[in-house]
Amino acid sequence: MSGDLRKQLEAHAGLALIYEEAWAEIERAETTAGLEEARVKHLGRKSQLSSLLRSIPELPAAERPVVGKFGNQVRTVLEAALAERKKVLEAAELERRLSRESVDITLPGQPFPRGHLHLITQTLWQIEDFFSGLGYRIAEGPEVETDYYNFTALNTPEGHPARSLHDTFFVEGKPEVLLRTHTSPVQIRVMEKEDPPVYVIIPGRVYRRDSDATHTPMFHQVEGLAVDEHITMGDLKGTLEAFAKSMFGAEREIRLRPHYFPFTEPSVEVDVSCMICSGAGCRSCKYSGWLEILGAGMVDPNVFGFVGYEPDEVQGFAFGMGVERIAMLRHGMTDLRMFYDNDLRFIKQF
Amino acid sequence: MKVPLTWLTEYVDVKLTAAELAERMALTGTEVERISHAGLPATGGNLDRFIVGKVASRDRHPNADKLSLCQVDTGAGTEQIVCGAANFQAGDKVAVCLPGGLLPGRDEPLSAAVIRGVESRGMMCSEAELGLSTEAEGIMILPEDAPVGGRLADYIPLSDEVLELEVTPNRPDCLSIYGVAREVAAITGRKLKPPPAGEADPRGDDRIDEIISVGVADSDLCPRYGARLIAGVKVAPSPPWLKARIVAAGMRPVNNVVDITNYVMWTLGEPMHAFDLARISGRQLMVRRAVKDEEIITIDGTVRRLSAGMLLIADAEKPVAVAGIMGGETSEVSAGTTDILLEAANFQGRSVLETSMALGLRSESSTRFEKGLDQELVPQALAMASRLMVEIAGGRLVPGQIDIQQRPFLPEAVPLRTDRVEALLGIAVPVAEIEAILTRLGFEVEEKEDGLLVLVPSFRADVEREVDLIEEIARVFGLELVPPTLPSGMRVLGGLTSGQAVRRAAVRALAERGLSEIISYSFIMPDFADRLRLDPGDERRQVVALANPLSVEQSVMRTMMLPSLLGTLAANLSLQNQDINIFEQGRIYLPVPGEKLCDERRVIAGCLSGSLKGHSWLAGGGEADFFAGKGIVEALFASVAGSFSVERAEETFLHPGKSAAVIAGGRRAGYVGEVHPLVLEAYDIDIPVVAFEIAEAELIASSAGIIVFADLITYPASFQDLAIVVEEDLPAAEIVKVVREAGAPLLQTVRVFDVYAGGSIGDGKKSVALNLEFRSADRTLTDEDVASVRAAIIDALKDKLNAALRE
Repeated sequence: MSGDLRKQLEAHAGLALIYEEAWAEIERAETTAGLEEARVKHLGRKSQLSSLLRSIPELPAAERPVVGKFGNQVRTVLEAALAERKKVLEAAELERRLSRESVDITLPGQPFPRGHLHLITQTLWQIEDFFSGLGYRIAEGPEVETDYYNFTALNTPEGHPARSLHDTFFVEGKPEVLLRTHTSPVQIRVMEKEDPPVYVIIPGRVYRRDSDATHTPMFHQVEGLAVDEHITMGDLKGTLEAFAKSMFGAEREIRLRPHYFPFTEPSVEVDVSCMICSGAGCRSCKYSGWLEILGAGMVDPNVFGFVGYEPDEVQGFAFGMGVERIAMLRHGMTDLRMFYDNDLRFIKQF
Repeated sequence: MKVPLTWLTEYVDVKLTAAELAERMALTGTEVERISHAGLPATGGNLDRFIVGKVASRDRHPNADKLSLCQVDTGAGTEQIVCGAANFQAGDKVAVCLPGGLLPGRDEPLSAAVIRGVESRGMMCSEAELGLSTEAEGIMILPEDAPVGGRLADYIPLSDEVLELEVTPNRPDCLSIYGVAREVAAITGRKLKPPPAGEADPRGDDRIDEIISVGVADSDLCPRYGARLIAGVKVAPSPPWLKARIVAAGMRPVNNVVDITNYVMWTLGEPMHAFDLARISGRQLMVRRAVKDEEIITIDGTVRRLSAGMLLIADAEKPVAVAGIMGGETSEVSAGTTDILLEAANFQGRSVLETSMALGLRSESSTRFEKGLDQELVPQALAMASRLMVEIAGGRLVPGQIDIQQRPFLPEAVPLRTDRVEALLGIAVPVAEIEAILTRLGFEVEEKEDGLLVLVPSFRADVEREVDLIEEIARVFGLELVPPTLPSGMRVLGGLTSGQAVRRAAVRALAERGLSEIISYSFIMPDFADRLRLDPGDERRQVVALANPLSVEQSVMRTMMLPSLLGTLAANLSLQNQDINIFEQGRIYLPVPGEKLCDERRVIAGCLSGSLKGHSWLAGGGEADFFAGKGIVEALFASVAGSFSVERAEETFLHPGKSAAVIAGGRRAGYVGEVHPLVLEAYDIDIPVVAFEIAEAELIASSAGIIVFADLITYPASFQDLAIVVEEDLPAAEIVKVVREAGAPLLQTVRVFDVYAGGSIGDGKKSVALNLEFRSADRTLTDEDVASVRAAIIDALKDKLNAALRE
């Protein structure tokens, strides 16, 4: 407060009294509600100060300017003090409220449960995404299939010894109908319908009559087929190498081992360098440093004959992989049967 | 196929260890399943502790009547050995295990011991102890030519690394030691030694064709049949070396005659059979197809009833062998046999395979024949076996032989365009290298102007075409040399079809809502139809049944997904898993009358039995009731920007009042509803379950595809609430329909936000509260605009539904 104001206040005892009292009450207020009471009392329409200011016209002419000037100064100062005090009190009150609202942050949050896609689906999608990125389409075909598509057209005629390697489920009453033992019959169906070039993968369920620790009567395969003018074995190798790196890590390598399948020539089995021991040799890879992941080869010219392609004009490769095996290797699983027990404790892990 | 290494090296002088050889074989196309060890353990110098000894003296043990005290010459000196056997005398050569020697199957090596007060430094071994036989009386007496002091394993192949090969069905030539030797020579570049040769000299004035007549009636199934006669054999146990070979190959020694036929089979790959000539009725054999219900007792003692068309070998009275599979008991070689007829033949692979499968009888013989064997093996095998019969079983080879052949072997000539090798493999192989590889594999190669002409040997019937030759070149040349590339100049587009994308979106939506995906077997138990209370005429009772299921639980292809889901749910309940909310995407299989194949329809189906909101110390909720199920179906359609309506479902397996048929695009797409209590009971489920099944094709068809933009921003919407009182059983959908019609075109959406009955509403009535959204695409609506539409809506509700406005 300026000395000038104080002098003037002393000169007008009424104003001084009003000022002192109001100031003290503003300073004393401990809550915003108490402060509001003080405001109404000292600055409200019915306050002494307001009455005084209203009564100025009735004052002697000499006093009027002085009271008017200093009365309003008092009002301004009090209002400022009030605002200042209000800020302080509000801050304190907010502080108290927030402190009251404190919770036990160690309690768990509100659940928003999510479900889980089966590990086979997740693996399938990953395989599909890899190959669709390379320009492959995804084809499908029947699971209840004829002998012709499952064997004969795949260069495995009746009486072929390779047939006995597949333990086949047959359909009652229809000796030529069976549950497909691999996804390969869809190769034939695709090529029958479409002219080359053909780049497809074929995911799906397949069935073999075998059930033990390492076999389930139903499992999943992904078949791949690329038929074009100049496809080479090198293209097969490069494609599968890129696939292996995508699924198992950039540092993986593959190797091709010659093998035999009736519908490819040459045929190979494909190993990936062991992701557990990085090729040093461990129990999982039987100390060889390599894990078999799929079978493949160059499409046999006889197969092209079955679908009406000209074997001297096109070449192609095909491959087939077990999805369960890929998933087990990726996730370190040891028991195949868990995929089909459908125990939610298993499914919800992934 | 077990390949003992010392047997293999008789024919190819390979310098690699078993592991190195296995690696090389694996990389050239012969899978080695494992490397095992047969016979005496070879590590730690063990083989040095087994030697040929000579019994210098044999006396009675001073303290035991049944024991002998022997001095045995071990070459390096004399050892005192106490022995319990009685079948030997001084001068015999015996197999001695010195202290420290470890016998097969033992944990501890032999140590010097004091037996009844006398020191014994070693053991004279029996055949059983050395693993050559399962039972043996007394110790093994070695032939005179055994070198005293020499290592026993150098004299008898008692210890071997064994490569266990998985031979692919196209390579029956590798089902023999000699065939594997040829392969190993080709892939290692080592020299292949000549095949086992050497004939026995025939003796005597008689001739085989004077003694027995052999005919082939069905030469289509038997392209070649050969036989020889060995007279005067003495059936006895085989010599130790032969037993050791038979054991190392994984077979069981029987007697010299049988062991020789098995030894020849293993060496050359040609299965053989020995008949007791005296027991061949009428001195005649005929190879012919069986007539229906002919019977034979095979040497395993089983009566086999044959079907018409199976190939057999018969004497004058009866079948004596199932061709290429197993001989008959009546003409089997026995201890008293003196004259044997040795058979080596070539039977058609397919016929042997089919008969073997039909009889459920597989043998070392049938597994070879079924793959198609080399006809040229017939004379080779007969020559080798005859020589061994004479040498080992003391017989006389009767002059002459039977060899009935449909037509002589002529090698196929396959042209090879050398530029095709690079075109297919993506790597150039020099022509000289091509010729060298093919020659090592037994092919003959001639250079022609336009490439090579390759003659295929008899033992490689699997090679018929240029591409087969390229495979041979590739695998020996080395696939590791092929550079990895990607197809060049691809002219196609990849990616998911819109249907496949919709499927993914749908299952993702379910997972995001808290449902977990299961994958169950497509085949189920046939009683599902009864458990689901399906009507007798329900077409879902018509199933594709398996002819040869593994069990009745997996014997019919499912026609609906619910049985799989309920089965999985029950299994998880018994595992005490909580909140079992599951779905499956997969196919159902519906038979189509008159069609070979069935209608395979993809569906997405699920069931809920627990909270979708989880459990928490916070307030819970989320019962698995009809509306939870319907909400999931709504989420499913929303995920593909599709829509559906409902009608009352009439499914016997659902709660009649809490189930709905899902209609999309005017077609039935599936159902949603609470599962009928009796069905739950049939699946041992004691909590409420709501289920749904939606046909994927309908879901995809309902998808709006690419969503077209609508301006919801420029002109704001106006919202109003409306509460009406109607009859309690009036479906909400009818109210919404009336409101929509009356409110068009400004009314954009109608949302039911409250349903209430009781209290002041009045009996048989309910209050339904609606939230209405009005919007115009070209202006901001005024209060008057909305008020007039609202009035029209209220009028329509009064007129059509007798609804009262609730103030």
